[in-house]
Amino acid sequence: MVAEEKTRDEIDDDIYDEEEDTQKDKYLTFHLAGEDYGIEIRHVTEIIGIQRITEVPDMPEFVKGVINLRGKVIPVMDVRIRFKLPFREYDERTCIVVVDINNTTIGLVVDQVREVADIPEDQVEAPPKSGKKTSSRFIQGLGKKDDEVKIILNVDQLLYDEELEKIGAAIK
Amino acid sequence: MTNDSLEEQREIVEEFVQECTDLIDQLEPSIIEMGNDIKESDFELSEDTRQLINEVFRLFHSIKGGAGFLALGNISTTAHAAENLLDEIRTGSILLNHDHVDLFCKTIDFTREALDLVAANLGDGGMETQAEELTTLLRTAISLKTTASEKPVAKKAAPPKKKNGPPPPPEPVKKEEPVFEFTITPDMVERFTQEADEQLQEVEQGLLKFADNKADPETLGELYRHIHSFKGNCGFMGFGDMEKLSHQMETVLDAIKSEADFGKAKPADPLLSLLDVLKQALGDISQNGKGKIEGVELYIDLLQDLLPEGWGSSKKTTTEKPPRVGEILIDQGVISEETLDQALDIQNKPIGKILIDMGAASEVEVDNALTDQNKKRKPAPSPDLDRTSPTAIKRQDIRVDLDKLDTLINLIGEMVIAENMLVHSPDLKGLELENFQKSAQQMSKLIKELQEVAVTIRMIPVAGLFRRMTRLVHDLSRKSGKKVDLQLFGTETDLDKTVIETITDPLVHLLRNSLDHGVETPDERLKNNKPETGIIKLSASHEEGEVWITLEDDGRGLNRDKIIKKAIASGLIDGDGSDLDDREVSNMIFLPGFSTADKITDVSGRGVGMDVVKQNLAKIDGKIIVDSRPGSGTRTTLRIPLTMAIIDGMLTRVGKSHYIVPILSIKESFRPTPKLITTSPAGDEIVRIREKLYPVIRLHEIHKIEPDSRELSEGILIMLEDGDNTTCLFVDEIMGQQQTVIKGLSEYIGKMGEARGVSGCTILSNGDVCLILDVGSLI
Repeated sequence: MVAEEKTRDEIDDDIYDEEEDTQKDKYLTFHLAGEDYGIEIRHVTEIIGIQRITEVPDMPEFVKGVINLRGKVIPVMDVRIRFKLPFREYDERTCIVVVDINNTTIGLVVDQVREVADIPEDQVEAPPKSGKKTSSRFIQGLGKKDDEVKIILNVDQLLYDEELEKIGAAIK
Repeated sequence: MTNDSLEEQREIVEEFVQECTDLIDQLEPSIIEMGNDIKESDFELSEDTRQLINEVFRLFHSIKGGAGFLALGNISTTAHAAENLLDEIRTGSILLNHDHVDLFCKTIDFTREALDLVAANLGDGGMETQAEELTTLLRTAISLKTTASEKPVAKKAAPPKKKNGPPPPPEPVKKEEPVFEFTITPDMVERFTQEADEQLQEVEQGLLKFADNKADPETLGELYRHIHSFKGNCGFMGFGDMEKLSHQMETVLDAIKSEADFGKAKPADPLLSLLDVLKQALGDISQNGKGKIEGVELYIDLLQDLLPEGWGSSKKTTTEKPPRVGEILIDQGVISEETLDQALDIQNKPIGKILIDMGAASEVEVDNALTDQNKKRKPAPSPDLDRTSPTAIKRQDIRVDLDKLDTLINLIGEMVIAENMLVHSPDLKGLELENFQKSAQQMSKLIKELQEVAVTIRMIPVAGLFRRMTRLVHDLSRKSGKKVDLQLFGTETDLDKTVIETITDPLVHLLRNSLDHGVETPDERLKNNKPETGIIKLSASHEEGEVWITLEDDGRGLNRDKIIKKAIASGLIDGDGSDLDDREVSNMIFLPGFSTADKITDVSGRGVGMDVVKQNLAKIDGKIIVDSRPGSGTRTTLRIPLTMAIIDGMLTRVGKSHYIVPILSIKESFRPTPKLITTSPAGDEIVRIREKLYPVIRLHEIHKIEPDSRELSEGILIMLEDGDNTTCLFVDEIMGQQQTVIKGLSEYIGKMGEARGVSGCTILSNGDVCLILDVGSLI
């Protein structure tokens, strides 16, 4: 039994090696109001420049509206407003990071995209438990890269969080 | 058949399940209808019922045949038992009663369940107990026939027929032809020809294999079964010649299957030729012919000659043939078997060849004679028929994967956008392009046609859905002891397949409600001067660019006071509810958990049903409207937009934002003069048009955008109509009409807020996303 399992693991390794290795510990980092943030690269579909956003009524403030991504209509979220940071006019460095989370495609508006950074697991620390600000919920960990610290985001929380669940429950 | 070989036949099995489901869908209403004709005392079956019974019989038979072929024992035995019982009923040996109808319904339920199992596991194993129970019930029903025929009323009916084991279907049909003659509809003929054509093709494949000596026993068995069902169908449809011929072919195949010795004769070739004869006859039928085969006796004799001694003679079609001369000679010891074989060899040669061999005629002379013979033969039927004869049957439909269809429809949608972008390309602005315009127009026209066709592809008539409801009404009315007549209207109305699937559950719930809460018991009805039998009307129709499914009963109607009381008790409304109009009250029943039922029955009363109705309708952007008159009934209308992924839209502008307004909702548009506008003290604006007053809605206020101007007289008012409501929408400018491909706003948007007044979005020719207004929720 044990021997058999080993072989199966080996096979699995062979199959997934490539994908796992290229995506593991890799984060797309971007700049937002003086800080660097990172999201796991497996969530990221593409990065596009800022484009005309069509506003949708009755949305929370951070949902800026929808854009046309090659014929597909996707919603766009302004991460600054999500973190309750002051709004900043979009410029030529403003980017939309298109992410795909649990089959929901959404664009994240960020100030500036930095790079794809390699942050090994042992360099990621749990977020400090201050819990004062709402935005701390979105943090999955703190990644140390050289002498900088990248805030690694929990994208799931970014999209849907307790706040929403509460609203959802209230509606029901 | 083992599971492995079934696995290989997955495709066949899937087809079978699909076909069977179709059959059952047809079968069910027929059974119910059959039951409706039962009269308590008089046993004389009406002509209609007789037809129905035959129809049901045939359907069960087909299910049995198909299941038997795929070794789905449980389905096939139950169908077989049901078939036997039906046979007894149609011959008149058993009185049709409600228990029988229930039994048949049960058989159908069982078959449905089994089919699900088959679809999942490729086998119907595990249902043995249920199958056995049903079969026993059905058999018991048959065994009761003696008691039934003892009753004096039954004496009128035909004497009971002795029955041993499975009856070959064509036999009873043939024998009893005068008893239950019935009209064959063109529809049936069409189905028959298609099915028969498939069967013949299978037979041909099998025969070709056999001719190449590649046929294993399994292929032969299949071959035999195909020709057998073909024969059965022919018999049922009353195509005597075809039946006779295929019967003889079946006999030969039976002999082949049993590895009978054909000596030197090769049965495959004549069988193939005769198959062509059958095909031609079938082609004739599809051209409204009678399917007569000239010289059918000749062909049958030809086959009889093929058969080794002892075969076929026992079958009904052939008379006992005297032994052949050669055989008598051998018996008498005049010649040896060898000599006979040699002689037969010679005999097998064409007469011309023998003449040449004998030197009696030259080869040329014989050739000439043969040509002459062929010329003379032409008008006579020849088994060697041109295979590409014009009467060949073509299938009129084809099964296509829904995903493929959706992809196609999506692509067409994308094409409309691309076309819009191309024709309105900013690069073309200000250019005089006469030829381009012409071609562009031509393309627009074609694309529009393409769209229209694409939309209809997914449409199927609601008839199937409605038919399923007959069963429900039957069961429920039996259970509740209420008498209900379900009337169906507009069954030919087409709806998108997914829409039909979505509204099935809502319809079931609404019907249950009608039966449980609406229609009263016969006593109560009589007391209220209503006919004993309640009427439920189910209709489908095209209205205002939508499909309306209406369910109307003549029951007691909704109880306004009860609803209001309940609503107050659940804290749904403030005050005493007297300020609510009837429609508002009626629509409260759609709130989740809302039920006024004093007790919960097993049919309804938990308050879940109406919530399901509402949610499913919301999925397809449909609306529900309930109208109720106390004491005289309730009418529920499901308004379903035609799932046209593409609508005609009017592009409008407010400030920097663009909106598409569905043209169907627009009545007119105009620039108001200040004189027409009245502002109420509350700030509501009212516009007066042709002596009528309409409220004004400012789009910029609802969507919080900055307009060009806030003066009504500087913009445009668009008069919108939704049902009974009319209102005027204030926008800055109307940009023009355009084909609009509806795209859903992301699911995420739906979760974040309700996006009031917006039903979806589209992509404009400049690539921008533009919202489509939902007139209903704006008003």
